[in-house]
Amino acid sequence: MLDAELGNRLHSARHWSNSAHQSRGTRVNLSIIDWLIMLVYFVFVLGIGFALKRYMRTSNDFFLAGRSIPAWVCGLAFISANLGAQEVIGMGASGAKYGIVTSQFYWIGAIPAMAFVGIFMMPFYYGSKARSVPEFLRLRFDEKTRAINAFSFAIMTVLSSGISMYAMALLIQTLGLFHGIIPDQYVFHVSVILSALIVLGYIFLGGLTSAIYNEVLQFFLIVAGFAPLVWIGLRNVGGWQGIKQTLPATMTHSWRGMAHPATNTLGVEWVGLAMGLGFVLSFGYWCTDFLVIQRAMAADSEISARRVPLIAAIPKMFFPFLVILPGLIAVSVTSHATSVQPVTYSAQVPLSEQHPHGIIPVKTDPIHNQPVIDSKGLPVYNYDLAIPVMLLHFFPTGILGLGLTALLASFMSGMAGNVTAFNTVWTYDIYQSYINKRASDEHYLWMGRMATIGGVVLSVAAAYLVTNFNNIMDALQLVFSIVNAPLFATFLLGMFWKRTTGHGAFTGLVAGTLAALVHHGLTIPGDAAAGIHGGWITIVHHYSSDMAQNFYTAIFAFSVNLVVTVLVSLVTSPRPDSELVGLVYSLTPQPEEGHLEWYQKPATLAIAVLVMLIALNLVFA
Amino acid sequence: MGLDIRIPLGLIFLIIGGLMSVYGLLTRHAADLYAKSMGINLNLSWGLLMFVFGAMMFLVGRRQKWQDDPVNPRPWEEHQAPRH
Repeated sequence: MLDAELGNRLHSARHWSNSAHQSRGTRVNLSIIDWLIMLVYFVFVLGIGFALKRYMRTSNDFFLAGRSIPAWVCGLAFISANLGAQEVIGMGASGAKYGIVTSQFYWIGAIPAMAFVGIFMMPFYYGSKARSVPEFLRLRFDEKTRAINAFSFAIMTVLSSGISMYAMALLIQTLGLFHGIIPDQYVFHVSVILSALIVLGYIFLGGLTSAIYNEVLQFFLIVAGFAPLVWIGLRNVGGWQGIKQTLPATMTHSWRGMAHPATNTLGVEWVGLAMGLGFVLSFGYWCTDFLVIQRAMAADSEISARRVPLIAAIPKMFFPFLVILPGLIAVSVTSHATSVQPVTYSAQVPLSEQHPHGIIPVKTDPIHNQPVIDSKGLPVYNYDLAIPVMLLHFFPTGILGLGLTALLASFMSGMAGNVTAFNTVWTYDIYQSYINKRASDEHYLWMGRMATIGGVVLSVAAAYLVTNFNNIMDALQLVFSIVNAPLFATFLLGMFWKRTTGHGAFTGLVAGTLAALVHHGLTIPGDAAAGIHGGWITIVHHYSSDMAQNFYTAIFAFSVNLVVTVLVSLVTSPRPDSELVGLVYSLTPQPEEGHLEWYQKPATLAIAVLVMLIALNLVFA
Repeated sequence: MGLDIRIPLGLIFLIIGGLMSVYGLLTRHAADLYAKSMGINLNLSWGLLMFVFGAMMFLVGRRQKWQDDPVNPRPWEEHQAPRH
């Protein structure tokens, strides 16, 4: 064993790809039972694809799941599609870093928007018979507004699917999952290719239905894999009360210190949080992103489609306990074990209270195999490993296989969600609209399958792009936030103000994106150097954190889009009312709900969801 | 779609839960294995729970008629398709 360990160390010194091995404790030792559990999962994933293949008769079956899926299935897929790798790993990491305040991304940053899209916007998406979000923009506005949305969306989905693939391969490599099976320097490549082939396989065969079914499997596997982790972890640290005693108060309260950016871990005050995250960013994502809307569009009726985001909101609200809490437990555990050694660093958070690091391993330099040290000579911790480390710390062989399966499942569906959204937008909004308008339905079905292959190949390319350029991840996140920030204003005006014109929407969208770019160029978070973090034009304002900068970028982009769209709309001629029936609120008959009892109505569900949200916020205030 | 999701969902939980329970049963005296999980045999207890959940899902899925297969007419065939 010692020899192997030493050999491994020497080996990893030579191969950057083997970087994280030397940090012991982040290495998995799997036995046959763990592999068996993972194998069962992959057999099912592909099996579902094969089982659904015979139902894929038309392009509607492939891209829209035949509009025949029950609301609860779509609802679970709705949140699972969003619960990809970056989400699970990132939320655990933020939990460890910032505390329970991270759950704001799931509460204020998702639930109100999900209620809004279900109650007010879904009738237009579903009722207009649009097959995608860009197509809705075509129906409501014009060709150019659709084009800008379709192209930017297609590019972003491929890139984020690539990031997901990269994150998965990196984690597999870091955990040494294939260690001893495949030579270490190939692990990364094998992981990328394998995951690409599996995702390709099941979408190629079963289209959106296959993706949705696998997302439902993933949902239950995540719950099954993480619930016992949280349970055993909480027992270990003495429950929530134990965490409260161990960690600084700012980490265990979601609203504490929100009056001023300097007194909370996020570095943002409540206005920025509520407006930036709670309104602009969250509504911009949950109400307009085709990745999630596509799941609701697959529902079997309009009433089901409206219920989809509302059903999704209920588990979404409680997901912080599955993905964020492990992060908090991870930092609490260590503080328990090493309480004899006084913690002597406070560099991670700009707070007076010292930040515990628990069982979070130190980040290591992949080239020199040395711990990474920041400018003050303090070690940098790899918070991204919070959840994987928790799995290794608490799970014995057997259930460890289940935990890893849950993690892999989330990576898979993160990719698959993007690929299904990509193949639909490519086929309907790019290929059918600009390349080949009058082909047969079989041809578009064939094109959808080809687009699936294309999307996966491009994702692999994106994954390697991220691998080879260190800073590209930051750059991509920046591009996503800049493109997404202004979007919601366009949809809001389009659906609720009939005077909005296509020229107005297009100009507003472009102006909003430019505003986001300019705002980013003029401001900078904290003590960051000008460049990718902002301030590349000149610095006129300092934000206390990059999160605050991000939120305000979104607020600016949204406001500029709103104002410009209104102004341009007022000087251009609107479309006649008759063309806008079913697309604009004031011209569309209210959805028929007469046959429903009061408790069956989507509005009742929405109110229940919001009441639960308020209750949760009060409990963890 | 003709396949009720609860059937594969039930099956995967039956199989994984079953595997874990059997493994947990075989290793129930291996105290060092369960030192990590604070002496609790997570494989046995959680595996059984998953098995029961899987059985429930599978039975409900088998019982309920999902939807006529294939749906006829399809929702989009009832109305005119959007023009492009």
